[in-house]
Amino acid sequence: MATKEEIVNGFMKAIVDGDEEASAKWAKEAVAAGLDAYEMVTKHGGDAMTIVNQKYEKKEYFVPEVLCAANALNAGVDILSPHMKADKTSVPATVVLAVVEGDIHDIGKNLVKIMLSAAGFRVIDMGKDVPSAALVEKIKETKADVVGMSALMSTTMPRMKNVIDMLKDQGIRGKVKVIVGGGPVTKDWALSIGADDRPHDASAAVGATKGLVEKLRAERGETW
Amino acid sequence: MAEMTPRKRALLCVTGNKRRADRISCMDTLTTCTVDQMNAVKAPFPEANRDPELAFKLAAAAWEVIGLEGFKLPFDLCVEAEALGCKINWGRIDRHPSVETHVFNDLKDLKIPDDIVERGRFPLKHDVELRLRKEYGDYLPIVNQVTGPFTVAGHIFGIEKFCIWTKKRPLADVREALMQISEMNIADCKKALKSGTDVVCIADPSATSDILSPTFFKEAMLPVYQNMAKKIGAPIVLHICGNTSSYLPFIADSGFDAFSVDAQVDPGFAKAIVGDKIAIVGGVPTITALLFGTPQKVKEAAIDAIKKGVDVLMPSCGIPPRTPTENFKAMVDVARCMVYV
Repeated sequence: MATKEEIVNGFMKAIVDGDEEASAKWAKEAVAAGLDAYEMVTKHGGDAMTIVNQKYEKKEYFVPEVLCAANALNAGVDILSPHMKADKTSVPATVVLAVVEGDIHDIGKNLVKIMLSAAGFRVIDMGKDVPSAALVEKIKETKADVVGMSALMSTTMPRMKNVIDMLKDQGIRGKVKVIVGGGPVTKDWALSIGADDRPHDASAAVGATKGLVEKLRAERGETW
Repeated sequence: MAEMTPRKRALLCVTGNKRRADRISCMDTLTTCTVDQMNAVKAPFPEANRDPELAFKLAAAAWEVIGLEGFKLPFDLCVEAEALGCKINWGRIDRHPSVETHVFNDLKDLKIPDDIVERGRFPLKHDVELRLRKEYGDYLPIVNQVTGPFTVAGHIFGIEKFCIWTKKRPLADVREALMQISEMNIADCKKALKSGTDVVCIADPSATSDILSPTFFKEAMLPVYQNMAKKIGAPIVLHICGNTSSYLPFIADSGFDAFSVDAQVDPGFAKAIVGDKIAIVGGVPTITALLFGTPQKVKEAAIDAIKKGVDVLMPSCGIPPRTPTENFKAMVDVARCMVYV
């Protein structure tokens, strides 16, 4: 029987290598050894994805490698999730994600979804090509703490401004933090249209989202 | 000296011979359609993408309304995917068509019919190109745009799946699929050249270094592009969106005539890397200058791009549909008052 350390290391390596079969194998070992499934996913799976993102930042990894890693993480999560006892100590923040209307490029948004889910956020994924009005409705309906919008095309990124303007018009801009991302979206432009942040990649989105949720909860007088 | 028509000027500039022209060309090889133009010539999206009469009017609007020194067809990137069987969302006046469904489950399922350029909207494109040539004579250049092999692969297989295959499948198999798609592009261009087009623009937005590694670009994309450069037989402009800095040394060896850089790449930096191996075109940022800027801001950006050595002055990417006409025209105004001596 493998030790806890061997299982954790094997699981993390499988994710970093993008090896779905190995990830599933180590996840089964973890279940058999009675390890905490929640910790396996959120801590060790999350740590592995952090390594993946560091490699992405260093241009050692590119989107295909990150997708393979995400698939490997998911293969492990499929096995571990029935054994997970949710962490009840904190209320997870709600994040609504969407690729803006007219844009069907959702790789970046999907990576952010995986990273945020692994970090314990409640993620509502509206998919791609989402009309501005539908996105604003979903933000209201779910009382979202953060909305993340993505666009890969310079022809569609103006829709982000459209959504932010709608939030302002409806008087709810102060209730939700806005992050934006995607190839052509620069930080200067993001701030100029009134977004709160433009994390430079999926792993940075986790830190940015945590920071914004803390800020939002402080504004509301809540604790994180 | 014979009259320097916009067509002659464009052909000199796009092949890196701008100093033999009287001034910089302002031909736009990327998406040129704006809502203003659609309204001005009563040829709106989505109909103009499928109706030959409206397509002719809207293509001509690039010159008639804005003054861009050339025509370009088609207006969208879905012609190839549609002809191969993908379902298309036709969009609306300020929204480009997009691919909704993929058609092949696996690399080995890829089958491109021999008569592919007779299917879907290929014939419409070639017919409109022919009509532009007939009605405008040799005065203006006509650009035949093709959707590049990587982007088409993303359309027909699904981009995430195809990305994963670049890691999990033998490189030779992935490259072979891209090569097959490039043969469809080549057949399309051969037909278009017979319709009187002068320049080919390969728009491969998905092949960006935001997605792919320089290694994959060098080992898979470069041989495919070189195959296209060898076989097409006309000046070729490649456009890839996003930050392509790490690709520049390879793009210089593609055999293409020009590379269109997106706003994330400084044209001066690109020129420094590629030298005189390939022309650098573009330089006017679509979002910050053309869409949200003012005519003055566009002029400043255009002058800056010319100073940095761009060979054709054009937007850094496809024009956002809501771009104001006065901003778009400001770019053309700058090109017109630039004279080489």
